[in-house]
Amino acid sequence: MMQRLFFSAKKGRRRARWRTPVAAGVQASATIFLILRRMRAPLITLIAIFAVSVLGLTLVPGRDADGAPERMSIFDAFYFMSYTATTIGFGELPQPFTAAQRLWVMVTIYLTVIGWAYALGSLLTLLQDRKFRQALAVQHFTRKVRRLNEPFLLFAGYGRTGQALGRSMDALGRRLVVVDISEERIDALDVDQYAADVPGLVGNAGNPHVLEMAGLGHPDCEAVLAMTDDDETNLSVVMAATLLRPEVPIVARTTSATIGNRMRAFGTPTVINPFDRFGDRLRLALRAPASYQLLTWLETGPGTHLPGRAEPPANGRWVVCGFGRFGRELAADLRANGAEVTVLDPEADPGRGGPQLSVICGDATDPEVMDQVGLTDAVGFVAGTDNDTTNLCLVAAAQRVNPELFVVARQNDPDSTPMFAQMRIDSLLVATEVVTHEAYARLSSPLLWQFLSRLPEQGDDWADRVVGRLADHCGFHLENVWETTLTGRETPALGEWLAGGAARLGDLLREPADPDRPLPVVTLLVRRGNGDVVMTPDDDELLHKGDTLLLVGPSAARSALNAVIAVETLFSYVVHREYVPAGTLWRWLVQTVRRR
Amino acid sequence: MNLEKVVFGFFVLLAATLNFGFFIGDLSDPTVHNVYELFAAVVVNLIATVLKFGDRTQIGAVHLATSLVADLQLIAATVMWAYAAHVSEEGMTEAATAGIVSLSGGALFANVVSVILLLVETVSFQRK
Repeated sequence: MMQRLFFSAKKGRRRARWRTPVAAGVQASATIFLILRRMRAPLITLIAIFAVSVLGLTLVPGRDADGAPERMSIFDAFYFMSYTATTIGFGELPQPFTAAQRLWVMVTIYLTVIGWAYALGSLLTLLQDRKFRQALAVQHFTRKVRRLNEPFLLFAGYGRTGQALGRSMDALGRRLVVVDISEERIDALDVDQYAADVPGLVGNAGNPHVLEMAGLGHPDCEAVLAMTDDDETNLSVVMAATLLRPEVPIVARTTSATIGNRMRAFGTPTVINPFDRFGDRLRLALRAPASYQLLTWLETGPGTHLPGRAEPPANGRWVVCGFGRFGRELAADLRANGAEVTVLDPEADPGRGGPQLSVICGDATDPEVMDQVGLTDAVGFVAGTDNDTTNLCLVAAAQRVNPELFVVARQNDPDSTPMFAQMRIDSLLVATEVVTHEAYARLSSPLLWQFLSRLPEQGDDWADRVVGRLADHCGFHLENVWETTLTGRETPALGEWLAGGAARLGDLLREPADPDRPLPVVTLLVRRGNGDVVMTPDDDELLHKGDTLLLVGPSAARSALNAVIAVETLFSYVVHREYVPAGTLWRWLVQTVRRR
Repeated sequence: MNLEKVVFGFFVLLAATLNFGFFIGDLSDPTVHNVYELFAAVVVNLIATVLKFGDRTQIGAVHLATSLVADLQLIAATVMWAYAAHVSEEGMTEAATAGIVSLSGGALFANVVSVILLLVETVSFQRK
């Protein structure tokens, strides 16, 4: 026994390193057994009724064509019962019936009608049964997920954040699998326009079995996104995903620092806390407005118009209304930025103030309290309660007292967007957007995330120049952000050019139709084969084999560059301004002539 | 006592006995093979098959398979009987009878396997 215990413990530890299968298919394959089991009684009734009817019909005395007494054979009786019971009714075959036969047939007609009604009724009830339909849906879903043969993102939770992210990922051509507790959201998947089919399952994402059905164990699962509204569920998703598939990247959202720490205890998930991130972004916006502008533009994704650049206020005192999770994070960030902060909250404890922090207890909408806070000599104002109506009132009241204030507001409900849009707000926090943008930047392309995480340290002037270049080359609408790796595998000429050591970036980015004109693209970053990164390289940057470029530009430029890289003749024409014949024979002729 | 098991065992055994009753006797002599017995065997076999629906165990699956084999054989025998008795000119010849009875003999074999499975199941149940 001891040995066995020891052995199983050892085995358990070993298994954790491998993929642990969680039985999921069992539930789905049970559907057919459910039908069969429930259909037992009706089918047996039907068989019994048929048997009794046929047997009776062969025993009742009848008459043959000449009027002599004769009984029906089993064959004729079964034939008669088959068309009578199914209400086809060809009449009395093969001979007109005797009174005794008619008497029996009358009984059997009513019997078989009951039998059929019972069998069909049971079948229809079964088909409309909620559990049965669920079982069918689950089976359908697992089959779809199992048959996916390209990388997909597993969305656990598909609320506003998940949907926004899912749509932009779908637009990039990525596949999604969705689990959500709400039936409405899963039903909406069928109605909404997606480029690819999105399998959806109604279920609790915190349940490992549900996640397994949704493809957590699938070799093509490229990332798991814990995007439910519930922090506990997100934590369960992170736990399940890290324990079952430690190698798959996880992105989780939470608004609680405690839950965030618990998530990190399980490995290295990307935890996005919108309040925390917003505070960081606000600090960036105050310190380096151009960096903030570039960051926001790139992470919002294709199709975004260049956002406006906010003018940060001079150093001074900030007033923060609402001292919940958001208020606390933001006050800490502002103080770290060197600002003095006055906090106003109906439930705050005035004794909790500290250096650069004074806490006032009171209702912010009360004019007397507002006077006490001293808005006239403040530079910034934060409306950060968890109620949108209160936040709007606060912003309006504060701007009436001091129109020069830098106003930060928190929007809780996505439905209040039009109202917030009408107010003059310098920086608006929408938690779902913060999460969506960051998750997008991380998942859409690894290089984009590398670029964005290095962006703040490059300085504001640099960011200003990059924004200017992007606007000059590609316009005010962000079109395409893509990666290209230079392998030279398809085009040997490209490989030779790269190996030559004089491959200028500016020579490659040329318009194929007219190589004197540069392509309207901006190279944000070059990653060398050894992992080194060059931020915003200029035209003289030398390229090497295995370099990956992160580019921004219109779709036409993207396909032009792809063609230059993939088609030998086009490449030679663009880079060397030489015409290389496309056919092998002609090329050989040209080369031979040239050698002479 | 489990009533479901009683009904199940009853039908499985009855299917085998009826089948045996029809099969026994001179292979080609129509007088010793009653067609009503064949009819009863078909009906009881069908009921036994339906009773085996929806069992997810391995032994349940084999049970269902044997029953389906018996059904197939018996229905083939019935069709052959209907052809001989009603369609063909010669009527119930010795050859036709032999065909019908040997088909039911095949079904009997499947039914015997079914009964053996029933016994195995019962014995292994008691050992636990």
